[in-house]
Amino acid sequence: MIRELKFLLSLWKTNLAAAMEYRATFITQSLGMILNDGVYFLVWVIFFDRFKDVRGWELADMFIVFGIAASAFGLVGMLFGNAFNLSEIITGGRLDYYLSLPRPTLLHALASRVVPSGFGDFLYGFISYAASGQFTWDGLARFVLAVLLAAAVFTAFLIIVQSLTFWMGTGGTFTMLAINAMLTFALYPITLFNQAARVVLFLVVPAAFMGAVPAGFVKAFSWSTLGLMTLAAAGFLAAAILLFHLGLRRYESGSAIQTEV
Amino acid sequence: MPAIEVTSLSKTFRTKRKAAGLGASLRSLVRPEFRTIEAVRGLSFEMEPGELLGFIGPNGAGKSTTIKILTGILFPSGGEAKVLGYVPWKQRRQLAYHIGTVFGQRPQLWYHLPAIDTLTLFGKIYELDDRQTKRRIAELAEAFEIEDLLETPVRKLSLGQRMRCEVAASLLHKPKLLLLDEPSIGLDVVAKQHIRDAIRTMAAQENVGVLLTSHDAGDLEALCKRVIIINHGQIVYQDKVSALKRSFLTSKLVEVRYAQQVGADFRIAGTETLKVAKERYGVKLRFDARITPVGKVMAALSAAGTLVDITISDPPLEEVIAAIYQKAENRE
Repeated sequence: MIRELKFLLSLWKTNLAAAMEYRATFITQSLGMILNDGVYFLVWVIFFDRFKDVRGWELADMFIVFGIAASAFGLVGMLFGNAFNLSEIITGGRLDYYLSLPRPTLLHALASRVVPSGFGDFLYGFISYAASGQFTWDGLARFVLAVLLAAAVFTAFLIIVQSLTFWMGTGGTFTMLAINAMLTFALYPITLFNQAARVVLFLVVPAAFMGAVPAGFVKAFSWSTLGLMTLAAAGFLAAAILLFHLGLRRYESGSAIQTEV
Repeated sequence: MPAIEVTSLSKTFRTKRKAAGLGASLRSLVRPEFRTIEAVRGLSFEMEPGELLGFIGPNGAGKSTTIKILTGILFPSGGEAKVLGYVPWKQRRQLAYHIGTVFGQRPQLWYHLPAIDTLTLFGKIYELDDRQTKRRIAELAEAFEIEDLLETPVRKLSLGQRMRCEVAASLLHKPKLLLLDEPSIGLDVVAKQHIRDAIRTMAAQENVGVLLTSHDAGDLEALCKRVIIINHGQIVYQDKVSALKRSFLTSKLVEVRYAQQVGADFRIAGTETLKVAKERYGVKLRFDARITPVGKVMAALSAAGTLVDITISDPPLEEVIAAIYQKAENRE
């Protein structure tokens, strides 16, 4: 465990060095994303200004939900940037590189890229929480924990969806759809959905674990919510790792020319 | 214990078959048709520790697939293999500590970073301590003459320079076996020579076994003692490189230049005239040394006029290998 952590730290350091080769791009993308998130959220500000609340869901809740989703999304991009293009890595035969080195293939592949705009998203999430009007210091600690667990569920979901590439042969469009579904549903007030739809949001596209559930936890501590989030993170991660390794047996490599950036 | 032991190894891929056009694309969406490609068919061979073995074959012969199975990248469809005592697809990580790999088409060095950064990261990946890594990098930099290149971003290196850094990186953890898949692909003659020399020197110094795939016979001649030639996933020939030359390089090529013009119908008994130069001073001939002794041909050439220059050579190895492929195709 410590060995893998040391390896991850070196990998992240190398990643950051690679991203810093283009410092201006890095800074522009990060700042650009903060602006982008802000403008996107403006729609909700206007919406709640008109309707005040949607079945008990208020603007303050939106600030927290948006904060968790943005920070979790950004964190995945910062630490496991390849989670967004695992499918391309599989179809392009680029797993060869990770498979020829003595490290856990999935972890190595995921952590080998940093998405510069992820830093912007990550930071914006905290700004959003601070602006919610419900900021407290212990709330912040819960926010950090909620972001970590939401990021774990999101990473697992991305791995599960893209591992299907081993069976389907391609998966690019499917991945985009899955990412969009996850974000859209995570950002909608959960009070809008009926029981059946909520089952989907908890189990099929686990958006509830990236939005409503962690937001509730940030607002008020509860052992049962924390337990549910931890269980979801562990369960989805276990399923993701299992599916990826089952798929690996079907991996076909390829002869496309690749570079490790 | 052999370094590599392969028995009846096979690998099949299933690919979708689709005729040209949109109609066929729609049909294939509803009822996809698949066909099976046998990339490797019942391959068996052994390689001794420290041996320099060449794996030669045309594009699509199954060379890369075999190497990928032997490194644990691909699961085989059948058969057995052990590399340094490990079953690659079951003990991939343990094996990876003891082998080095270079895929000519798959650079391992990070594109935007200087090679030194990737080498340092590899030190962490292989769990070497920092002092060990630094010392080893210095050793390799000297052997591969890359001291001045280490701090330049890889994207700014020439292909030849990059490949030298790639091979150096694959040797960082002192592997016992080096698996090189087309290490000289795309390189010019000088860069090829450079990289072959460095591999030969390092392999000899550190007693590293080298399994090299290539479709360039020059790599084989320069680096390998033994050769396995495969085509359509099967071994069509395996022996020492010297034996390959002895049994297939039976004909000799002679180029002579005379002080005076020769006749346009220049002939020497027991040889075949390939070409008489336009200005009629030079002649190119071929003969089978087993039938017509070299001495006899030399004497006859000398008697035909005053010799200015003479060269006797073997045909290039490429031709020999092409003849072996052809023979195997005809048998099928």
